[in-house]
Amino acid sequence: MDVSWATTIVAVVLMCFIPSAKKSILAIVTVIINAIVTSIPAIQALGGATSDFSFYAGTFLGDVPIRIDGLSAWFILIINFTSVTGVIYGTGYLKAYKNPAFKLSIHWILFLLFHLSMVWVTLLQNGFAFLIAWEIMSLTSMLLVIFDGHNTKTLQAGINYFVQMHISIVFLTIGFLWVYIETGSFDFDAFQAFFTTNNNLWLFIIFFVGFGLKAGFIPLHSWLPYAHPAAPSHISGVMSGVIVKLGIYGLIRVISYVQSDFILLGEIIISISILTGLYGILNAAVHRDFKKMLAYCTIENIGIIGIGIGLGMIGLGSHSPLLYYLGFGGALLHVLNHSLFKSLLFFAAGSVYQQTHTRDMERLGGLIKNMPQTAIIFLIGAIAIAGIPPFNGFVSEFVIYSGLIEGLKSDNINLISLLILSFAGLSLMGGLSILTFTKSFGTLFLGNQRETLPHQPFEVSRIMLFPQYLIIAVMLSVAFVPQWYLDIVGNLLSGMALVSHPIAQGFEVSSLAVYSKTLSHISLYSLLFIAVIGLFWMIRHYSQKSKSIFVGNTWGCAYVAPNNRMQYTGKSYSKPLGKMFSFMLIEKKRYPELMAGEIFPQTRKYSSHYLDFIEHYLIDNAIRLLLTIVNYFKFIQNGRVQSYVMYGIVFILAIFILTLLNLLK
Amino acid sequence: MLSFILILIAGVFFTGVIIRTKSIASGRKGPGILQPISDVVRLFKKGAVYSQTTSFIFQVAPTIYFSSVVMAMMLIPFGQSKGLISFNGDFVFFAYVLALGKFFSIISAMDTGSSFEGMGASRESLYSLLAEPAFFILMGSFALLTGYTSFQEMFAALHLGSYISYAIAILATFVLVMIAMIENSRMPIDDPKTHLELTMIHEVMILDNSGFDLGLMLSAGYLKFALYGAIIVNLFIGMVPYPYAIPLFFIIQFLLAIIIGLIESFIARFRMSHNPQFIFALTSVSLLIFFGVLLVLGKFI
Repeated sequence: MDVSWATTIVAVVLMCFIPSAKKSILAIVTVIINAIVTSIPAIQALGGATSDFSFYAGTFLGDVPIRIDGLSAWFILIINFTSVTGVIYGTGYLKAYKNPAFKLSIHWILFLLFHLSMVWVTLLQNGFAFLIAWEIMSLTSMLLVIFDGHNTKTLQAGINYFVQMHISIVFLTIGFLWVYIETGSFDFDAFQAFFTTNNNLWLFIIFFVGFGLKAGFIPLHSWLPYAHPAAPSHISGVMSGVIVKLGIYGLIRVISYVQSDFILLGEIIISISILTGLYGILNAAVHRDFKKMLAYCTIENIGIIGIGIGLGMIGLGSHSPLLYYLGFGGALLHVLNHSLFKSLLFFAAGSVYQQTHTRDMERLGGLIKNMPQTAIIFLIGAIAIAGIPPFNGFVSEFVIYSGLIEGLKSDNINLISLLILSFAGLSLMGGLSILTFTKSFGTLFLGNQRETLPHQPFEVSRIMLFPQYLIIAVMLSVAFVPQWYLDIVGNLLSGMALVSHPIAQGFEVSSLAVYSKTLSHISLYSLLFIAVIGLFWMIRHYSQKSKSIFVGNTWGCAYVAPNNRMQYTGKSYSKPLGKMFSFMLIEKKRYPELMAGEIFPQTRKYSSHYLDFIEHYLIDNAIRLLLTIVNYFKFIQNGRVQSYVMYGIVFILAIFILTLLNLLK
Repeated sequence: MLSFILILIAGVFFTGVIIRTKSIASGRKGPGILQPISDVVRLFKKGAVYSQTTSFIFQVAPTIYFSSVVMAMMLIPFGQSKGLISFNGDFVFFAYVLALGKFFSIISAMDTGSSFEGMGASRESLYSLLAEPAFFILMGSFALLTGYTSFQEMFAALHLGSYISYAIAILATFVLVMIAMIENSRMPIDDPKTHLELTMIHEVMILDNSGFDLGLMLSAGYLKFALYGAIIVNLFIGMVPYPYAIPLFFIIQFLLAIIIGLIESFIARFRMSHNPQFIFALTSVSLLIFFGVLLVLGKFI
């Protein structure tokens, strides 16, 4: 730990002095060192060697306990991997833009702090210290998002993110303070004491809102679709891959101390998660900004993770060890998987953006010819995220599906009904993500180029491709040795504080062995699948060898003058879906009507875009209401110095009188 | 293994029987039952024309589509005998393997840059995603009813005893037939014989395929029919011994093909905008099955 701090400080100082070209290399080296240093105890912790230590942090905080247990370790490794790939990719990504040296220094310094603060969030076991790390993480990520701060929209997105993260912190602070008032301790262990003596529901809901804002559960998601597109792509990749998952980490951490009401909480989480998932992917399907599409898709995946968490809670409540392991196991595996393929997709999308300077997929097309490697990378990411074998997305979704089927054995009819609906919901999400990603891939990479771009796009540099191949390698390892990952997750879960709860008696990790075996079979079947494809490909290859192959035009129904703008657009592709769900996907169209006396119509423009239902109806209205109310108090801040002096005097007087009357403790 | 071979054989005749039924129903003599297969064989022998817009996606997609169907065939059991592959939760794998094929067939249609094919792709992805929940609720209900989670164990444990279970079986057959129609883009969702590109779904997606690739696409379609037919057969044969089960398999497949032929002869295609409603209604039928299962199990208090 000390090594990582020392390296970071040295790197921060050095960063200010070395030439621009070297800054990124320094950043890469520092991130890698930090990653290695923090990964070593994490790997040990996954092996079962939980390390506990503490450091003295002044008189106020006292000894701050630090613990690296399985849960922290799992997240630390994910953070480290994504940050390393992110920093390497970012090096290449930023090279294409001319940035002043000081901007680059600040960017990389912030990135280092961002990485470390995320790691520390998972380490600290004291509420107050946790909040500090959490705040540093939110601030640094906000500053990273507004890298292109001269752009008003980026700045707006940054401020939106900033405000929402602080609402999240308010809730977390309330939660921690509540525990502190009841138990007199900020340590996480105090949660256990709190949850044993108090009602579990309300504190849990406070934390759910706090962490849910970070994770992006609806209706707390509205920062995501703005912040992710606005940030430079390596930052969006890391944010979507990891920072959102820290909300999940916080949630699981709180859950690990919960003492009762498991089924109720589980049902709440599952219901919200399904809505989150469907809402996220429906919005993802209709948006034309491809980074916004990916941001909504993140919301969907948070929903899938949430279903797993809810299942695990239900497993605890209904004494079913298998359900506990499958639920939480599926959730944690999906956290890993999503961090992999989402960062991959964001990186690939970033490569497209770097080459074309637009995030509007309707202006692109046919990029597979200019950027074949990026196209294949995006395709792999798309197949994986749709949960289709032979890639890793299927592994975690299969575990969650298995959990849902397992849960059907319950006797509680409400539960069965909820689970069968989740079953249907999850399959619908799968179908919708196929639609979303065939649309995005098809519109971006296939067909012909729709518009002439300012300059011809080329394949991106090797330093940008390398981290993406690295991610694909890890994804394949999850896809083909899933049992290894499931066993790690199983061990991790058997070491959680929850398992010591009397309700979890006999929760042996061995109950997972059956599924571990099934998963290993599935990976073999995936290989078989690839072999079958290979076989037919060979047959096709040999049979076509001697045949005549012609190249001609696409069949145009006898129309001889097609142009590239006439291709089917992504918008039209998802329009039937948008129409079906028009109660939720609000489409705003802007066009001038033809006037009565307009005999020779001029050229006119038509534009349409989709609004976020929850943001538009719920959040915007709430903000408007808030503004109206706050407006009445405008007289307090009237800009006159005299008034402000008076406030000061009133305040001092109040303190004085209260102390005098001994009302202030 | 047995089911794999049986499905292959059934696949050879299935589409032929449908076409023959349709021609008889419309008062024509019609082509022979093996005509579709000889069409495919002819296609396999032909060269190909590719659009200059297309990339390698267009070339690999038919192979992957065909392989996904072959892979899905391996998962289907036959009575007591398991499929080539069988494990707990294999129906999830089944659905997702088919999804890979669909994914590639959709992007290969988009690869041509034709607006017709984009339209077909859009419809295909929308309709098949809407059918997904129906299949999953159906399978979930069977898992609930039998307590097993693999195709073979579920079907083997299905006992038709009470009146409710007959109702469940009939509804399940209906849902599966309709899913088969949607997956294969047949009436009443899509008319394979339509002549206008604007009203096509599956046919318009393969406009630019030719030669070997077209053959693969077509034969995958034939096999897919037999595949869903086999699932339906499994609903009924349960533990029937082989000497009866194998003829029963062909009889049910034959009946199914005739029913499909009759449906196509006497029902008009739905309006495009009504399709989603119809497909989504399948989900509610599946929910009915689910409630039936709850009744059978006595979980309603």
